[in-house]
Amino acid sequence: MHHHNVYYGQQHILARYCGLDDEFPPRIPGYLQHGWNVGCGWNPAHEFFDGAWRYVWSDAPRRRGHSLGRRNHAVIGAPMLYLMDMEPDLGRVPGDERKGTLWFLFHGWDAPGHRGGKIHGDHARLISEIKETESEPVTISLYYTEYQRPEIRHSYEDAGFEVICFGRRGWHYEGTDRQFLHKLLAALRRAKRVASNRLATAIFYGVAAGCHPAVYGDTMELEGDNPAFGGQARIARLWGDMLGKDIDLATARAITDEELGRAWTMPPAELRMLFDWNRRD
Amino acid sequence: MTDSVLYVRGEIQPWTDYAGHRAPAGGAPLLALLDDLLPDPGSRTLVVGPHSPELIELAASRTGALTVLVRSVSDARDLRAAVPSPTVTVITGALDGLAGAPPYDVVIAADGLDRVLGADSPALDWPARLALLSALATEDAVVLVAVANEFALTGLYDRRPVGERHGDDEWRPLHDDPARPTSPAQVAAALGPRLSRLYATFDAAGLSHTLLDAAAAAATRPGRPAARLAAEALAVTAAHTPLLAPVADGADAAARAGLLAAVAPGWLALLGSGGATHTAYAPAGSPSAGGVLLADLDESGWTLSVRGQAAAVPASRLPDTESAETLLFRLAAAENVPGFRAIAARLGAWAGLADGLVLLDDLYPDGDDFARGLTHPAGGEDAPAILAAAYHRLRDRLVRAHRRHPWPPWMVDSDDLVTTWLGMSGIADNAVAVKRGREIADGLAAPRAGEPDLRTVLAGAEDDRRRAADLAGKVFGLERTLGFRDQSLRTREQEIRALREELRTTAEELRATRGELRTATAELLRLHALPVMRLHSVTRKVAKVRYPRQFARAIKHRLRKG
Repeated sequence: MHHHNVYYGQQHILARYCGLDDEFPPRIPGYLQHGWNVGCGWNPAHEFFDGAWRYVWSDAPRRRGHSLGRRNHAVIGAPMLYLMDMEPDLGRVPGDERKGTLWFLFHGWDAPGHRGGKIHGDHARLISEIKETESEPVTISLYYTEYQRPEIRHSYEDAGFEVICFGRRGWHYEGTDRQFLHKLLAALRRAKRVASNRLATAIFYGVAAGCHPAVYGDTMELEGDNPAFGGQARIARLWGDMLGKDIDLATARAITDEELGRAWTMPPAELRMLFDWNRRD
Repeated sequence: MTDSVLYVRGEIQPWTDYAGHRAPAGGAPLLALLDDLLPDPGSRTLVVGPHSPELIELAASRTGALTVLVRSVSDARDLRAAVPSPTVTVITGALDGLAGAPPYDVVIAADGLDRVLGADSPALDWPARLALLSALATEDAVVLVAVANEFALTGLYDRRPVGERHGDDEWRPLHDDPARPTSPAQVAAALGPRLSRLYATFDAAGLSHTLLDAAAAAATRPGRPAARLAAEALAVTAAHTPLLAPVADGADAAARAGLLAAVAPGWLALLGSGGATHTAYAPAGSPSAGGVLLADLDESGWTLSVRGQAAAVPASRLPDTESAETLLFRLAAAENVPGFRAIAARLGAWAGLADGLVLLDDLYPDGDDFARGLTHPAGGEDAPAILAAAYHRLRDRLVRAHRRHPWPPWMVDSDDLVTTWLGMSGIADNAVAVKRGREIADGLAAPRAGEPDLRTVLAGAEDDRRRAADLAGKVFGLERTLGFRDQSLRTREQEIRALREELRTTAEELRATRGELRTATAELLRLHALPVMRLHSVTRKVAKVRYPRQFARAIKHRLRKG
């Protein structure tokens, strides 16, 4: 029932998977994880109400949430996996026709009234490193918070990269681009590599879509970044195999399956019951 | 009147050990053990303490001369009347009153040594009573003696204070006896090297329910067949005790610690060698049917057989593995749904489902297959209904024991959970099976305790408190959602107002433009009406004569149109 649940159209995807109205998806009786992180699946200061269920992608956020004193977790797998299941052909090209690198710049976050957090870092240096590393055409994906900052967008355009934006995740149910993940999936299925300057959701999505991953470059600073979960140092300790310019693909796929909760995905009928989406007359 | 019973010192009258809360030693499993154990006729046998007439008759049939000692005069007379055989001698009096009698080849004290003294006897402690009994046995006698366990789970979990646990109907000389053995090791030490087998015993108010070899009980672990035998039997024993907590919880912990034999309600010690005995004796099917399950454990598992009448004969071989229920409960507690799903899928694919009802707590993984266990409830149903019944029962036991699991309350409180598990087993959208499964499970359910244990009551109250807190949280969450939605509506309202304002401005601009247009048109008409403009018009027409050819074409065109 939290407005974060509709971020990136995730709630819509799950409603469609369950055979329900995805234009106006039914309410989820709790919180749906909307991005990968090193903690419990939400930011350290996230508000939860008593008795709410937390629908997480994988088992690790459940365990971490439990250690924070939270109960009522249900592990369901990432909605992106359900979208992949429903859209097996979206953006798909033959393997030898995949080309280029879809490069995700670590992004800030948005909220009305100029709240949210911006990123700060050395973009020029990062551009040099990308050019030095990538051998095929690079498409830079900026979240709209950076896309709408000309000083950032132009720096990548001027460097000769194609710069794209997949849309907004929305706020208070407004402005959500319900095709966000669809567009992202299509782009990933055309790319040969996926890269970012931080290990983040897009990398896991990319690996799941068949890309070879890379994580390198200036990790940049996020305004107001809460280090409660351990930040980049913890990522290096726990997911060291996912960092670098040449990552072992089999290892990356195994880790990705774990982090996106592939083994936890379930049939529509089961998901409907877990969300209490069946009519009770 | 000539009395038909003999007297020794220490009899009690009026008194009975046969009509109180605790029945005299008896029951089908105990009789089955004696049937195996007792030698052929020819020996002299002594039975000490209250035992059922059936047991007395069995002992009488396996001996040349049987002596029965009971402390109550009326009990002795009743026994005499029930067993009139001339080879049976019934004596009333206390054990100390029989001191000095010639020793016997077989001595049976299956009721233990707590109901063998009278009110006039000295307050002998347990070792002293055992010494009296031992003195009545030959050196190579077969001796069977029961020992009540004061460290039994049923005692530890007894809600009553120690002083209120014994009624006047179970008079005994000492209730605080530091010399009484209170563990299998202490029993073994007290009985010495002639101890050949020790059973952990479980009874229903004195009536034998299950006998389980103490070593097997100590070696078993939660969910294995021996632990199930013990847990079932403990539940029967506990049915007569107001409890602090479910004994099953303690039984699981004890089994995990290898202490199941140590917390049994009692032990039955066998000294000397008689006939071959089995690892376990338990009811086969309904206890009232009288059939006895005989189970023997070897390195590769259990060998099962049934003696007497039983509803169905279980499999002859059974692996000594954890039950499907134990595995499923463990996976649920770990919130390991994929693991749970894998076992459910195996259950759904198991061909043995068609063979009859399934109790998951008595179903054991056997390689890629499953083996039905110690019980085999009757009932011909189709496989989906059988599995649904098994899952309903699993759900009931999960909830009743307040176990951890990963499913939300709206699933647990409805048929959704069973439907989900059936789906994991490959049986989807089968509401008929779910409904029929509920009916079957209700038929299999053990009767609920009249008075719930304290832990269950407290847990229920805590559940209610949590549910109230969760509902308050839900209200908060819904209000929060309404707040978000309000914000969303405000945003949309602002957008609508902005569009309206834009529309209004555009309309005003349009109106203003129309006004200007009207003014301009009027001005134009006014200008056209001026003489100078008429002169200008005539002049323009006359000027066309300057181009004769064009003028002629225009005249021709006009004439043609006209």
